[in-house]
Amino acid sequence: MGQQVAVDIGGTFTDVCVADGKGNLQVAKVPTSDGVTESVLRGLDEAGVVLKDAEFFAHGTTVATNALINRDFPRAALITTRGFRDVLEVGSGTKSDLWDAYADVAPPYIARRDRLVVGERIDGIGRVITPLDLHDAEVVIETMRRREIETVAICFVNSYVNPIHEREMERLVREALPGVVVSVSSLVLPEIQEHERFSTTVVNALLSPLIKRYTAGLESELVQAGYRGQLQLLHGGGGLMTPRAAERYAGRLASSGVAAGAIASRHIALSCGFENSIGLDIGGTSADISIVADGQSRIVRNWHVDYGHPICFPSLEVLTIGSGGGSLAWVDDGGALRVGPRSAGAVPGPACYGLGGASATTTDAQLVLGRLSTSLAGGRRILDPELAEAAVADVAADLACSIEDAAVGILRVASANMADALRIMSVRRGHDPRDFALVAFGGAGPLHAVELARELGIPEIVIPPHPGTTSALGCLLVDTRHDFAAMFLRDIDAADPYEIESKFLEIESSARESLLDDHVEPERMSLQRFVEVRYRGQYRTLPVAVGSPVRTLDGLVTSFHAQHRSEFGFSQLEAEVEIYQLSVAAFGVTEKPPLTPDSWGSPPLRATTHRRVRSNDGDAWLETPVFDREHLFPGAELTGPALVSQSDSTTLLPAGSSAVVDDMMNLRVSPCEKAARR
Amino acid sequence: MTTAKPVALTSSEPAAVLDAITSEVLRNAFVTAVDLMAEQLLRTSYSFVIHARDFSGALSDAEGATVAQGSQDVAVQVGTLHFSARAVLESFPGDIFEGDVFVLNDPYVGGTHFNDVRVLRPIFVDGELLAIAQSNGHWADVGGAAPGSFDTAAVEHFGEGLRITPVRVWSRGRYLADVARLIAANTRAPSDAEGDLLAQAEATRVCEREVLRLIAKYGRDAVLAAFEESQAYVERIVRRRVGDLPDGYWEAQDFIDSDPRTGDELVPIRVGMRITGDTIHYDLSGSHPAVGNFLNSAFGGTFSAVVAGTKTFFPDVPLNSGFYRALVVDFGPEGTVVNASWPTAVTGFYAGPYEKIVNAIFQIWSEIIPERAISTSFNLEYLLVGGRDVRRGRSGQFMYYDWMAGGWGGRNGKDGSNATASIFGVGHAIQSIEMQERSSPILTGRCELRTDSAGPGEFRGGLGQVKEVSLTDCEGAVLSYCSDRARSVITGTRGGLPSCPHGLSINPLSPDGRYLGALASRLPVEPGDSLERPSAGGGGFGEPLNRKPEAVRLDVVDGYVSIDRARKDYGVVIVPDSDDPDLFHVDEIGTASERRRIRGERVDALRTDPEAIAEMYVNGELNELDLVRQFGVILDWGSGRLLRRTTQQFREVLLNRCASFWGQ
Repeated sequence: MGQQVAVDIGGTFTDVCVADGKGNLQVAKVPTSDGVTESVLRGLDEAGVVLKDAEFFAHGTTVATNALINRDFPRAALITTRGFRDVLEVGSGTKSDLWDAYADVAPPYIARRDRLVVGERIDGIGRVITPLDLHDAEVVIETMRRREIETVAICFVNSYVNPIHEREMERLVREALPGVVVSVSSLVLPEIQEHERFSTTVVNALLSPLIKRYTAGLESELVQAGYRGQLQLLHGGGGLMTPRAAERYAGRLASSGVAAGAIASRHIALSCGFENSIGLDIGGTSADISIVADGQSRIVRNWHVDYGHPICFPSLEVLTIGSGGGSLAWVDDGGALRVGPRSAGAVPGPACYGLGGASATTTDAQLVLGRLSTSLAGGRRILDPELAEAAVADVAADLACSIEDAAVGILRVASANMADALRIMSVRRGHDPRDFALVAFGGAGPLHAVELARELGIPEIVIPPHPGTTSALGCLLVDTRHDFAAMFLRDIDAADPYEIESKFLEIESSARESLLDDHVEPERMSLQRFVEVRYRGQYRTLPVAVGSPVRTLDGLVTSFHAQHRSEFGFSQLEAEVEIYQLSVAAFGVTEKPPLTPDSWGSPPLRATTHRRVRSNDGDAWLETPVFDREHLFPGAELTGPALVSQSDSTTLLPAGSSAVVDDMMNLRVSPCEKAARR
Repeated sequence: MTTAKPVALTSSEPAAVLDAITSEVLRNAFVTAVDLMAEQLLRTSYSFVIHARDFSGALSDAEGATVAQGSQDVAVQVGTLHFSARAVLESFPGDIFEGDVFVLNDPYVGGTHFNDVRVLRPIFVDGELLAIAQSNGHWADVGGAAPGSFDTAAVEHFGEGLRITPVRVWSRGRYLADVARLIAANTRAPSDAEGDLLAQAEATRVCEREVLRLIAKYGRDAVLAAFEESQAYVERIVRRRVGDLPDGYWEAQDFIDSDPRTGDELVPIRVGMRITGDTIHYDLSGSHPAVGNFLNSAFGGTFSAVVAGTKTFFPDVPLNSGFYRALVVDFGPEGTVVNASWPTAVTGFYAGPYEKIVNAIFQIWSEIIPERAISTSFNLEYLLVGGRDVRRGRSGQFMYYDWMAGGWGGRNGKDGSNATASIFGVGHAIQSIEMQERSSPILTGRCELRTDSAGPGEFRGGLGQVKEVSLTDCEGAVLSYCSDRARSVITGTRGGLPSCPHGLSINPLSPDGRYLGALASRLPVEPGDSLERPSAGGGGFGEPLNRKPEAVRLDVVDGYVSIDRARKDYGVVIVPDSDDPDLFHVDEIGTASERRRIRGERVDALRTDPEAIAEMYVNGELNELDLVRQFGVILDWGSGRLLRRTTQQFREVLLNRCASFWGQ
């Protein structure tokens, strides 16, 4: 097996992870520059990869997310049913900030002037009420031509039940304007609820030309550099797709960036034997939290970059909170210490970076307490403790306490915010965090891990070997994946299992086609069926996995009652149950790199240096040994207080905690005192 | 109720058992406990109204004071949950046990209206009542004469719905199915009602579990101290900010359309506010007697409006009883439109007094904190149609229950936001039309932003919407419409102009079409009938003739403003010299002269004989926007009959809030 290459391009850094096929991983981290391909190639160079030896190249990217954040799009239009021009703008009419009358929902991605209407109407059960007005269609096409529209979303009311008018409009546009990229709502997301479907289709339309250009550029440069295989892109649903599929479903790349970390976290936990795990990825501005229960990641079907503009492709559930190394600390006018969500960002960054930031951040607090080295990223970032102290001193003055106490306070509040977020992700799902392992990564995750685990009662922590580049690893660990769904609204008593079976067969046949398009051979295809079910009258559904073929629905109902009870604490056995939707997850199983256990046997451990570190609990400064992660081999045991330093991260082991290096080079941390393992 | 309530306590220092950091940690944890409850309810509720986020939750201390509210709670229920908690504590002295759960919806003890059903679970540790978890949700129906329990013509509550005084539904952990059945059986969808009751009760258990966890970790004393400190913290912030403001007295008024008993006369709601030191005193004693329909508010709804209006100017301050401690509210004598008592009908409080009090408070605070100033925002409106669904393969009742988003007021330096949920609750989502067309035999012909609906101003209001629906395959259908501001039209601020009147029209395009106004009750309707109504835009902010012509041009390009109104309201002449509105341009010279003309004529226009204006309206020479914006004339929009007294009152408002700011 040749080299497998994964690249994760973030806003600040590009991470490269290479599996050499013999069980070894190599990583590199380089700053992301303007030319994205350039960063990729530089990262590969640093990792010592020669592309002609690579047989697999997978890629997670924030290109789509950044385009949505910066609203950097080609000129786009929406064609919609007359009378419904503002579905996109009005949405649900709600705001995310309920009380600030000056904080508005972001404007729609397509301004009203470019939302064009045609006469047509289909009713809620699929009957044509008004045929498509061909004259209107002509006028709209003319307007698009004059305005040099590059990409268009076609979104008609009730097209999820009857797409005939949308498809006719699509044909007319393609004939008249062959250069225009077309996204059709009944193909992109054939689901009820006009705002969600329109909004998702519009996002897809906006991103399609960008992704097409981006992947074409990357592919040709990879070919020039000698790569002969297929480029694979990671989508937000936690699977791969080819550039060809990505062009049609460009919107699925919008959450590509956060998905990689969640996938890596799940894989690492599973390889350590944990079916239940919480992933915690703490970077400069935010903490991304994901959860895996019984080996399965949770999928959400409604998320957004800007509130009010939902993207409803299935996506791995990741909760992002504004709490990272750059989160700002201040004392509000009620005298309370607050940390985040405001952030110093990458520029000016924490005060200790010396780039002009004067306000205290969590990184400054860590430095004041001796937990960070003054030299990070292999000497590429020098931290100034005096600047950190000055910044934290301002907070201390407001709190009328010592600088160290203020620093401890900042970290306690930051940890509490993260603990609340972890609790929301676990407890609200009916999961007890004490049954979970914590996988902590990102630059700052391993600094907070023990305290968070103690707060939540989590018994075990896994710190992967390269915490700062763990996300890139995620791209190597996934299968090709496509998700399909079809509306199927029926009372369960009125539902015919044979009809369900034939509908599933229909969905699966499109699923197989898509996999074939992505060059997946039939023997590597794997399809999973789900029925979305609810109590009649309820508004949200639960996905219940079903086998194939469907011959009876008894098992479905029983599973639904049980699932409802376990998630929400009650079930209503006598209530009527309703089917909402059928969905299929289609996988093309890829070959995963073997991560061979390393041999055991650690040389005697020696701390590279010692630092005085202040703990959060007592007020003692403890003389703390600092170990170099590169010197730790399987079997190495550490007892807190200790620090483990590496170029991309620092791990804090407070007194009372202990750690051992496992055979996959993970640091396995026990947050509380207990019998040592092995 | 004439005394000030609640009592203002002196601010206390953080208790000794708590350090500042633990206190902040616990304060956040309390909000998380309530939010976890909300999250669960959202996923298990039956009422589509709850699903649209018309619900709230609270954690109270053992005295019933609110320690934390949900961070996404609907505005209209804030400031009432502590009343419910106290009502339960007072109704069952010495008779509350672990495992009990109580339910109530009584507006006369501080609730809002009958649809808002509150489920409360007392939390015990070692036999001691330490806290109460509460989940409050709007049930789709609680019985009464009209589907959805909104009988707009009700004068007393008996026709409105089931009144639930505090009652026990779980006793020491045992479900009292007979009691639950009695409640559910008095609604139009008993199984949904019981489903919501279960969902809410189960949600309070989530909050209970979190509180018990915190007590196990931090200890009973620390958690109890944090209950108090969470409130004291909020009180400190509010008092500190208020203390920094100059003392003074302000007043503002807004109006309900009319009292059916008196007819042609706007019904004033008067709000006085005094700042003394670090306390805010509100005085509502000057308001009108209760009106002869359901647009009255009991003190709970009124208190909620006072809190919501004030909170808008302290957006970052958490809500709990500490906030209320800095407010002293004089509701005035019982029997007024803002302090109605049993058995006066109060279900329409949200469309009547609630939004008027909030908007009056917006006027007051806009003067005190001009950088957060906001003009008047649209009034909530609801259309209900119920009947038999006879589409192929279907049978049974349908209930179509629809509310719209509308425009918010223009702001200091910023246009108002277009089609946003009402100030009643900005998290209150509007529904999917595709979902509505699945569940009801009603086809939506049009639902979009309404051109020219925004009140003009240097910073215009946000746009409202227009929605037209027609009935298809149904039998025995009746409609109710509940709104306001067909006459008390939203006006502008600091020279800004009014937006547009509310009102429902039936078959507006046919010769026998009718204008029903802002209220209609149980009117029979048939397949083929078309129902059309606007939601108002927000009032304008600042002198409209100062709006940049380019901003007006872009509004025309987007169809937010028509060429006609650009000239009449803004004095901006747009030349439509292209097929594509994208390419329209501004006639600079024409604009200068048009603006001169308007400056010279507009104040006199507000003194024109209204009878003559009414006649021009009937003859089609003027439209309703001309009447409200240029002439200040209010009619019965259906018949064209002049409302003389109402016009007089409306013109006074325009002269005061608009004309006095116009330059020459």
